[in-house]
Amino acid sequence: MSGHGPAARAALRVWAMAAKEVLHIRRDPRTLVLALVMPIALLVIFGYGVSFDLERVPLAVADGDRTPASRALVSAFTAAGELELVARTGPERADELFRRGEAMAALVVRPGYGRDLLRGGTGRAQLLVDGADPTTASALAAKADALARAEGLRQLSAAGVAGAAGIAAGGSGRVSPPLEARTWIRYNPEARSAVFMVPGLTGFLMALVAVLLTALTIAGEWERGSMEALFASPVGRFEVIAGKLLPYLGLGLAQLLLVVLVGVVAFDVPMRGSAALLVLFGLVFLVGMLGQGLLISVLTKNQLVATQAGTLSAFIPSLILSGAFFPVENMPAALRALSAAIPARYLVHALRGILLQGTGLRVLWPDLLAMTAFAAVVLAVATARFERRVA
Amino acid sequence: MSPSPLAIQYRAVLRKEVRQTLRDRRVIFMLVAAPLIQLVVFGFAANFDVDDLPTAVADLDRSSGSREHLRRLLADGTLRAAVAARSAEEADQFLDDDRAALALVVPPGFGADLQAGRLARVQVLVNGADPVRATAAASAATRFFAEAAQEGAAARLRAAGLRAPSVVLAPRVLYNPRLRTSLYIVPGIMAMLLVVVTTIVTAMGLAREREQGTLEQVLVTPIRPVVLLAGKMTPFVVIGLFDVLLALTAMTWIFGVPVRGPLTVLALGSLLYLCSTLGMGLFISTVSSTQQQSFLGGVLFIIPASLLSGIMTPIRAMPPWLRAATWANPLRFYGELMRGVLLRGSGLAELWVQLAVLLLFGAGILGLATARFRKTLG
Repeated sequence: MSGHGPAARAALRVWAMAAKEVLHIRRDPRTLVLALVMPIALLVIFGYGVSFDLERVPLAVADGDRTPASRALVSAFTAAGELELVARTGPERADELFRRGEAMAALVVRPGYGRDLLRGGTGRAQLLVDGADPTTASALAAKADALARAEGLRQLSAAGVAGAAGIAAGGSGRVSPPLEARTWIRYNPEARSAVFMVPGLTGFLMALVAVLLTALTIAGEWERGSMEALFASPVGRFEVIAGKLLPYLGLGLAQLLLVVLVGVVAFDVPMRGSAALLVLFGLVFLVGMLGQGLLISVLTKNQLVATQAGTLSAFIPSLILSGAFFPVENMPAALRALSAAIPARYLVHALRGILLQGTGLRVLWPDLLAMTAFAAVVLAVATARFERRVA
Repeated sequence: MSPSPLAIQYRAVLRKEVRQTLRDRRVIFMLVAAPLIQLVVFGFAANFDVDDLPTAVADLDRSSGSREHLRRLLADGTLRAAVAARSAEEADQFLDDDRAALALVVPPGFGADLQAGRLARVQVLVNGADPVRATAAASAATRFFAEAAQEGAAARLRAAGLRAPSVVLAPRVLYNPRLRTSLYIVPGIMAMLLVVVTTIVTAMGLAREREQGTLEQVLVTPIRPVVLLAGKMTPFVVIGLFDVLLALTAMTWIFGVPVRGPLTVLALGSLLYLCSTLGMGLFISTVSSTQQQSFLGGVLFIIPASLLSGIMTPIRAMPPWLRAATWANPLRFYGELMRGVLLRGSGLAELWVQLAVLLLFGAGILGLATARFRKTLG
């Protein structure tokens, strides 16, 4: 590589800066370990721990009727795998059980329930739910509704048998529901959290590494005053920056591939789309995030402040406003508008498309365009601020 | 009586820390204003409710029965007819292209089956890539057709002159009748933000002093390490408690979170919780050599602690080994305490377990961190 032109020499200097930064990271590998252990730890947590499923919900029962019909309703509830009978009690004690955390729901059957059903009327029961956790409470209410409906259908069917209504009940004496909806959940038929979470997780991990680690490493150079020393060297200012950003670009990509790989191997996350497209989206996203990290470091020049600025502007938004966990459509208009400026939103959407749905650029080009625009604007602002800082 | 030398040392360290913390306006901003901003944004964003889901409709039957059922299903507000498909395959394609969140396919013969009393089937395809929307779409469709099925069966029995008993379950939700997510999630967010403020700031602050060598300088003075740590922690305990007050005000004013239980229990719990999170920050600083590392270490503690706290998802749904691990998570117990005091109006009688666990954790981690801190200095 002799007789190289200015461009090749510049590339060489960037390379040298990158090698220096890699050396920094390697000399004290804890940063590297933390950055690479994090995705795996999080995936394990998401794969095993984070689930909205109803399980072992403690249920108290207050059966004031004590007829075969009320007992049938109670056993329909206790037989469901999601609920666990913890106490038989009066309805007035439900509040106390809720506050002690011993029950989350109480089924109250008042006297007269069985009599009303026998008369062909409506049997009424009440479900008291601890609303302090609304997510569980609404899932519980939906489950209880389905259980009561099934019990109602069973009562109908029993009435059909009792009336020997062979014809009306379809010949067998059993009232079969005349209508059935078959539901298929596409792309993730078993509704596993790990499958859902991988796209969102990747977005926020890369935001974390790309924005915060670069902001911290460059702010650290300002803090220690070594930035001036680097500028005094024959390496150009932008070459310093490019060299410092390069290893973190590599680290971010490594995280992306690690999350996808562990997801695919250990948690059966499907990989239906193109791997090249995945890397392309990852790269564009990372460039934007690195630009944001650079901008933060130039503005703050202090690692502690850079942390908070990065957390506020990149980490929290990519967790909350990206649509990975909370649906964007339902947020107040101001937050929806804000989320349009969060690149993680486009990344999460694109990764869902690529990994789970197998979609291609034909559908995802608006996401790529938005991320590219973000990267271009942020890099332009960051370099402009940077020029002014060092001039 | 003159104050003991330890008290003099403590006061000196405290004065230096307060002055240093107050000097940088930006640090004050990030300790006080930033958590508040996040609390408000988070509180408005955290909402699992979904409506107006774009639906692809493929009515291949085009009978009065199919039209009637589709009209009623699309009228309740959860689903919205977005595109009409000519076939099941086309409806499926709309899901792939993200033009619909779910597809309803009514096969030919649906109306005829319904009239003849044969089983009439509908197909519901849900885009499962977005979990929250998928659950909402699936449950809206399932619930509607279950209701319609029950009505149909009852109508047939009545037509045959038979009794048609029905079961009605009326739910009554205590503490949070409108099931607002914010009432529950905002106190949880506060618990998480307190970790960010206290754990990461302590860990990074100490790592910074180590990086700059100022820790060494203080150590050659007669100040004892324990006194040094106590002095360094005090301002953060005060700031943390101030943040709790600020967050409580915002919660009650902006989100209408009730305060039903005794505030003394809440204050005691907050104090013990802050000791835990500060101790964690101190511990992280003893195992890292740079600010970058202590930041990452802090994040590595905060994210699992938040996710496995029961604040976002229920602990009961976790496998036994993870459920056991949550006993070592101060966030879990502070979250339970907040929820208990604020929403359920619980007091000391119900929440002493949470307080005891927080006390144990705080004392344990502070002791461990102090021991390690002295060793790494020695």
